[in-house]
This record gives sequence, C-alpha cells and structure tokens, in this order.
Amino acid sequence: MSSIALSIMVGLVATIASLPPAVAVAWYLERSKLPGRELVQTLVMLPLVLPPVVVGYLLLRIFSPRGFLGEFLEVAGMPVAFHWLGAVVAAAVVGFPLFVLMVAQAMKAVDCRYETVSRVLGRSAWGTFWRVTLPLSWPGILSGAAIAFARGLGEFGATIVLAGRIPGETETIPLRIYAELDSPGGEARIAGPIAASILLCLACVVGARLLDRWYRKRLELDR
Amino acid sequence: MKFEIDATVRRRSGFVLEARFSCDAESLGLVGPSGSGKSTLLDAVAGIERGSRVVLNGVDCSEVPLARRNIGYLTQDALLFPHLSVRRNLSYSPRAGPVEAVARTLRIDHLLDRMPRHLSGGERRRAALARAIASRPRLLLLDEPFSGLDETRRRDAMSLLSEIRRTFQLPLVIVSHWADEIIGLTDWAVRLEEGRVVAAGPSASLLRGGEVQVDNYLKGHVTGPGRLDVGGVELVAAIPEGVGGDVRVAVYAHDILLGTREPRDLSARNVIPVTVLSAPQGGETVLLEVGPPPLRVLVTREATESLGLKSGVRAFAVLKATSFVYLGAA
Repeated sequence: MSSIALSIMVGLVATIASLPPAVAVAWYLERSKLPGRELVQTLVMLPLVLPPVVVGYLLLRIFSPRGFLGEFLEVAGMPVAFHWLGAVVAAAVVGFPLFVLMVAQAMKAVDCRYETVSRVLGRSAWGTFWRVTLPLSWPGILSGAAIAFARGLGEFGATIVLAGRIPGETETIPLRIYAELDSPGGEARIAGPIAASILLCLACVVGARLLDRWYRKRLELDR
Repeated sequence: MKFEIDATVRRRSGFVLEARFSCDAESLGLVGPSGSGKSTLLDAVAGIERGSRVVLNGVDCSEVPLARRNIGYLTQDALLFPHLSVRRNLSYSPRAGPVEAVARTLRIDHLLDRMPRHLSGGERRRAALARAIASRPRLLLLDEPFSGLDETRRRDAMSLLSEIRRTFQLPLVIVSHWADEIIGLTDWAVRLEEGRVVAAGPSASLLRGGEVQVDNYLKGHVTGPGRLDVGGVELVAAIPEGVGGDVRVAVYAHDILLGTREPRDLSARNVIPVTVLSAPQGGETVLLEVGPPPLRVLVTREATESLGLKSGVRAFAVLKATSFVYLGAA
C-alpha cells in the first residue's frame, strides 16, 4: 500500500475510533456534574504537550508484546506494536486532545436551555443528549473529526516509536518523507507525498469550515 | 388545583427566593416587579431548581425528578428545537399523542412541516405553547407569555389561552407584569417582592385599580354586516366589512355598563337582558360575571350596592358596537 493510501486509512480509522470516546469525554467535561473533571482534562491534554516521541515510548510500554495490554492483544490476534494498528493508535492518541477540545467547545455553544426544555418535556438525560445535545453539536464534532484526521496525517514521532517504519505497512506520509530525505536522490521522490499532505490537510480544514457554515445556516444557530 | 408551595432557592448572585403559600385555584397568577423572583418560582415548581416543596392537588412532587414531574413550561423565549420540524417539536415529549388537534387549536396546523427558522416570532411562541400542551401536562407554567406583542395581538393571544384553559381543562400558572392578563386568565394571584410573598388573594381584588383592563373573549357567527350571533344572542359589533363565518371578538370588562331597568334612546347598539351569575365580595372594584352571553363586567363596589347587583339578579348589559375588537376568524 502506498504511503498516501496508508496515511488516509490510518487517519480515518483513528478518527472514527476516537469519535465515541471524544464525544463522551467532551460531554463529561462540559455538561456532567461528576467530580474529577479537572484531573481528566489534564490527562486528556497531556499528549498535546508531551513530546510525541515520549508519547510513542509510553504507548510502546503499554502495547509491546510484553506490555500489559500488548500481551493480551497479541493473544487476541491484534498486535499493535510494529503493525499498522500501531500507527492508528499513535494517530488517535495524539489527535485526541484536539478532538475533545473542539467537541467540548461545540457542546459549550449549545444553549443549555434546550436541554432543560427537553427534560421538562419528559426526556431522560440520555434521551436529551441523544436528541438535542448531539444533533446541535454536529458542526463542532465534524470540525473536530476533520482536525483530528489532519493531525493524524502528520503524526511522526509517536508513530515511528510505536509502529516503526515498515514500507507498505506502517510507513505513513511523514515517515516516507523522512526516509526519502535520508536517502541519496530521495528529494526528487517526495513531491507527491508532500503535495498529498498539503492537499489533504487543506481539504480537511476547508471542508470542516464549509460543513460548519452549512449546518449553522441550516439551524440558524448564529441568530 | 390545590397549590402548596414552599420554595427556597439561593442564586449565586446572592438573590434568595423564600416563597411560601397555598391556595385552591383553577389558575394562579404571579405578579411583582422585575427581579422579584417570579421566574425563579416557576423554575422551582417545574423542578428545574431543586430543593423546594411543591404539592399539587395533595400529591407531593418535591422529590419527583424534572423529566417525570409532568409540568408544561413555556419560557419567555420559545426555544423550539432548531433541528426539528414543528411537527417533531410538538411530538418531542414521550407523553405526546397525536399533535394535529393541539396544532389546530393553536392555529399552527398549516405550519407542522416547517422548520422553526421559517416561523415568525408569534408562530414560534404558539408552536412552543402547542409543544407544552401536547406533552399532556397536569399544570402549565407560562412566563410572560404575551411580552413583546402589540395590543391587538396580545388580546388575541389572551383569548387563545383562555380557550386553551377551557378546552384542555388545564390549570395555569402565569407570570405577568400586566394586571389585566392576570385578572383575565387567573382566579388567584400571588404578589412577590424581593423573593418573598407580600400578598395573595383573588386576582380581581388583589390587582384592582384604574389601570386594570379585563378582557372578554367571545366567539360568534356573522349573520350580516356588523351583526354577530353569540350563543343565540344577537349583537351589533364593529367588525371589518366582508368578514363572514365564525369569528372571535374581544370587549373590555370596563366598557360594559349594567342597569337594572331597560335603558332607552341610547347611542349604544346593544342592550342585552342578562342575569348576574356571580358577584365576588371585597375590594373597591368588583368583577361581576353575567350572562348569557358570558361576560365579565367591572363595576365599583358602590355601584353594585346601590343597584343591588348580586347573584341571580336580572339586569341589562349595555355595549357599544365600537367597543368590540375583531380578533380574527374562529
């Protein structure tokens, strides 16, 4: 598989897999009254500030065949370390804080009074989340997904530590560019991956913006 | 409905609501200056603000969670869910049945498939009211339901609410700055000041005063130009030319005169023989109920005493044709 196709696949799987936990954590941070929110917020934001190589190393300790999750996943036939799933895990973990931040911001923008009206009309907390909070947060969730996807595309440090650089399996666009720059005459072969990187990231950012505008207009949320 | 309320709410701003009252009323009005705690009291009754004792018809629902309290609440903003059509807004509550009948009563049946963004302010409010009624509440709370409406629309909206109260047999709690809204729609009123109950009593006596405008809402059938049949009584009313069929009109209680002998040679076009149905005690101003057609008439205590206007007495109601305000088709 080409590094471009692999990057897209890794980014998509990481984004889709992150979506439910990102929405759940954002809701917990923004709407729940349970204790421990500040601690969770700090933990969630860690991958954003830690050097990616350190994140990769910590993930390797967890997912290597001798790590406490890696051993179990190895037996279950889902090896993560030095496997394309490792690139997915690295992209998901590094993109997660941005995803949560954007979804939380979207939920914050939803007028709480709609949720109160829903409860007064007889819907449970879960029913209200499903029928009101989630649909009204869609623009932010989609933008968050696009940004997390773009972040996953550019992931390098954690990926190379956890998944290694195996051409066709874990060699995503940034790893390919790095390898080519390190080999004689490689510079001539990186135009494609670089152009693909720029176009994909641009498409994500512009797409997220357009989706957001379209949805806001549809609901007249700015009114 | 019997209300027993003991509400204590402390806001972060330092505002404290400590309102305690009980009454037996079909509908209850909450009056008082801005910031006196009227809306907070509604929040406490609805269960949005916890920690208050709320007993309705002898059933203590203080511990019943918000979603199961079964109370309709129309806030000042309509707050229709912007991502749902009007129909889906109306059927949003798990308790909601078919919504067509409610939509017809509120005259929004032609808007059911529209999205809220395509509705005018008045239509949004009617849709939000329909949504609250469709959830089959045992009590409906209304926070300033007529604010921002011009005089004719306000009287129209009041007539609608009056009809809803009758049609759905729904007790109401109404917050309003307007005495006429409270007197027109409720039989008991509570006055709040700085978070405390300072007065409570029958609406008409609690809110008496020269500025009070109590409205009568009548439904009739146009029988000819400027002529209406209201429950078998022929009336002359200033209604627009070309209007036909069933119509709604309003007339203020203070625009109606009462006499015990039939007056003659008057410019007023309507002299209707009526019977006094009820004459409340107390207060300088009295809101008499007469009929048919059912009318409320505002007179002074002195006038009722000198004319001997008490329950069962036959009298004549005098109404000018121009006192009627045409509200629209019924």
